[in-house]
Amino acid sequence: MSAEQVVSIGQNGEQTITPLLELRNVTKHFGGLAAVQEVDLRIFPGEIISIIGPNGAGKTTVFNLITGIYRVSQGDILLGGRTLVGLSPDAIVRRGITRTFQNIRLFNNMTVLENVLVGYHTRLKATVLGALFRPPQVRREEDVARERAIELLSFFGPELVERQDEYVVNLSYAEKRRVEISRALAADPKLLLLDEPTAGMNEYETLEAVKYIRRLRDELGLTILLIEHKLAVTMGMSDRIAVLDYGRKIAEGLPEDVRRNELVIAAYLGKPSATDQEETAAE
Amino acid sequence: MSVTTTTRGVGRLLSPELKTRALLFRWLIALLLPLLVFTFVWQGDYVINNVLLGFITPATALTAPSKAIQSAIFMVLFYFLVLALAGYLVASDSGRRKTVSIWLDSFVFAVVPILLIDVTNNLVIGIAVSGIAWAIFFTVRKRIKYLAEAPSSPTSLPTISNDELLQRAILGGFWLGLTLSVIWLLVDVLFFVTGTLQTELLIFTAIRTVVLPIAGYFLGMLGGRVAQRYTAAAYASRDAKNNAKAGHKSRLESQQVVPNDQPLRSSGARTFYMALLIAFLLFYPAIDQYLFGYGTDGRVTGYGDAGYYVILALGLNIVVGFAGLLDLGYVAFFAIGAYTWGIIGSTQLGIIFGTVFNPLVLSWLFWPMIIVSALVAAFWGVVLGAPTLRLRGDYLAIVTLGFGEIVPIVVLNLNQVTNGANGLVGIHSPAFFGLDWSVVTPTPYYYLVLALIALVIFANIRLRDSRLGRAWVAIREDEIAAASSGINLRNTKLLAFGAGAFFAGIAGAYHSAKLGEISPDSFSYGDSIVFLAMVVIGGLGSIPGVIVGAISVYSINILILGQLDSLATDPTSFIYPVYHTITQYVPGFTFGNIRNLIFGVILITIMIFRPEGLIPSARRKRELHRDDDAPAGAGALDIVPSDPGFEAEVRIE
Repeated sequence: MSAEQVVSIGQNGEQTITPLLELRNVTKHFGGLAAVQEVDLRIFPGEIISIIGPNGAGKTTVFNLITGIYRVSQGDILLGGRTLVGLSPDAIVRRGITRTFQNIRLFNNMTVLENVLVGYHTRLKATVLGALFRPPQVRREEDVARERAIELLSFFGPELVERQDEYVVNLSYAEKRRVEISRALAADPKLLLLDEPTAGMNEYETLEAVKYIRRLRDELGLTILLIEHKLAVTMGMSDRIAVLDYGRKIAEGLPEDVRRNELVIAAYLGKPSATDQEETAAE
Repeated sequence: MSVTTTTRGVGRLLSPELKTRALLFRWLIALLLPLLVFTFVWQGDYVINNVLLGFITPATALTAPSKAIQSAIFMVLFYFLVLALAGYLVASDSGRRKTVSIWLDSFVFAVVPILLIDVTNNLVIGIAVSGIAWAIFFTVRKRIKYLAEAPSSPTSLPTISNDELLQRAILGGFWLGLTLSVIWLLVDVLFFVTGTLQTELLIFTAIRTVVLPIAGYFLGMLGGRVAQRYTAAAYASRDAKNNAKAGHKSRLESQQVVPNDQPLRSSGARTFYMALLIAFLLFYPAIDQYLFGYGTDGRVTGYGDAGYYVILALGLNIVVGFAGLLDLGYVAFFAIGAYTWGIIGSTQLGIIFGTVFNPLVLSWLFWPMIIVSALVAAFWGVVLGAPTLRLRGDYLAIVTLGFGEIVPIVVLNLNQVTNGANGLVGIHSPAFFGLDWSVVTPTPYYYLVLALIALVIFANIRLRDSRLGRAWVAIREDEIAAASSGINLRNTKLLAFGAGAFFAGIAGAYHSAKLGEISPDSFSYGDSIVFLAMVVIGGLGSIPGVIVGAISVYSINILILGQLDSLATDPTSFIYPVYHTITQYVPGFTFGNIRNLIFGVILITIMIFRPEGLIPSARRKRELHRDDDAPAGAGALDIVPSDPGFEAEVRIE
């Protein structure tokens, strides 16, 4: 774990580490359904944290709450100590959190490069008048944006750079995933949320994805929060794992601990029935 | 240069190598045919001769010198541009297409329109029928294997050195100039012998015979220089300079690179087509009389009116095409723009304030008032767009439809300000140094609308290729992803409404100044639908597309369908027999009765066969003709109903 952690000195001289992202008692109701209940989570800078849990546990809802697509019913979400509740998704991007989606949401009728350039939206300053008259600073910032976009694409190798003018619909699933990550990186975030980044990938692609996710943290200094279903992937990659079931956090800790946690096993495999227990007792 | 090199150069000029000869031959024929037809039909040489005569012999002095001179200038420009085009085409042809297919292309796309326009004696109908002919030609050509283009990989294109490109181009221009001058010389001699050519003009004939080949030489060189800009090598060096990586392959595959399999469609050829089009538009009021005889003013007025439709289509294109916000009430902003100038620029202003304003001063106010009307319309665009921000698709459309209805009614009832149902009359034309803007001559309005259109096109291109333009397209594609990439949905949508309304305001101010009088019933809900039709038929999101769409819809709706009845009852027109037979079976039939029916059928036909529009933007064409085996968006069906993205378009193929 390479962590540059924010250390603050308290009143008595003790050192405390301020979490980058903190969820305090976060709850979300949809009508009568509590999708997320009283979830606490702290993420420190430089970590790779995974959220796992069976389908429907509320993992993507947590992401949507963090990124402002939903509003919390109760509780608070803090980034660097400042609350994110009530902010619109684009404001949260400006604060430094971007995400990818479970079912890749790229702009289908734009090219690879244009998709990444859209990610730059918050870092460019051109206004309507700037668009019309194109003064030198607008020209310059567009050039810089293009260069940086190509740099981001080249993080994954030369293939995407060569295909920068292709419409994203023509790309393979794994390539689309990379473009989506590049788009998320373009906003220069502090925290990157990846929603099932290896979904639909075969073994080889999954290994590649794990490698570049690690590089994102190691080379670019990002903090990463991930939702992942492939347990082998999460166990191998994460610094800590949080487990959700029916909207509640049932476990959190190091991968080895979580793997052996009975609640977690029960959540994934179902509680053993009465007859099973008698059989095991009889053996 | 020594004598030997010059003679060698001349020798090379006069007897080119074998393979260049083949190229020369095919392009000479391909270009000569339209040139000669053009000259014959539209009297290119007659125009020039006329002007020269006017100079040489005072007895035949010109009656309308400025128009005649302008026409002569246009003709000269035309021939020179075609000479340069010849140079470009000879240089940039890869030689792999069959000659016959090139000749067919030239015939169908250049000669047929000229002939049709002459036969129908109507620019719009001629082009419309040509359009149908082109559509038929396209479908037929696909079936004929002989003409099918051999699938070739772009990397196997031959490379030519820059020098050889220039050589070929010079040859092309020179030979076309030479052939043309010889043909003209023979024609002139024939006319002279039969007595129809004035003796004084012989001097000009001699000069022209010598000048044309020389001009062809240099114009060919110009064409060659254009070709040099589009070679793969030129692109490579430009990319290196701009530090841009790749994109190379797509350019090679596109029509941009020289040498090219389809030089008539290449980007270099398009610059020449644009130049020809611009020259034609600029000089049109002067050359119209030579093309169509009397009635120039009526036609120019009509085209001036078509102009504001183009501006409206471009404005609506921003809202519907770029940002994907279905606006069915666009006419409201047009009306606001029109009334803003109408109120300020007429006696109404005096009525409101109880004083009398100097009409001359008011006329000058037109120029700042164009911007003011546009800004007022933009303001209302933002105000009327605000309630629609959380709505999507059909709901958004209904609300905008409502506003499209509300505004004319408000205008109707605000008696003190807008003079209600009586409308405004006597709206001043703009003032410009010495120009007469009265009803007598429509020419200043024509040039005004051309200038406005140029500005609006420029603004649209800039907006489209900017951060804001990308944000608009992102919103159209996927709102949630756009918001999650940092785009402020509210502001960006409001900007789209405002920008669209801004251009409607410009069109409105122009319209009320030109027409001189407006009233609430000139702005009806049906107009909004026509504007939308222009954008959709032309090509959503495509700037050249909506321009063509606006002209097409205007032509169909007003010029053709509107005139069908008067044409039908005119015994000399070609519709008369048709009309006659129909009225025998269906008494009381008029084309006016079924006008909307015809218009609707045309719209539906276009939507069935070309839903992406006449000139689609690259995105839209792909969007609507996607391969069937392309994978559906992964997990597109997995969106949970409570997710706001659920209601977004989930395309289920």
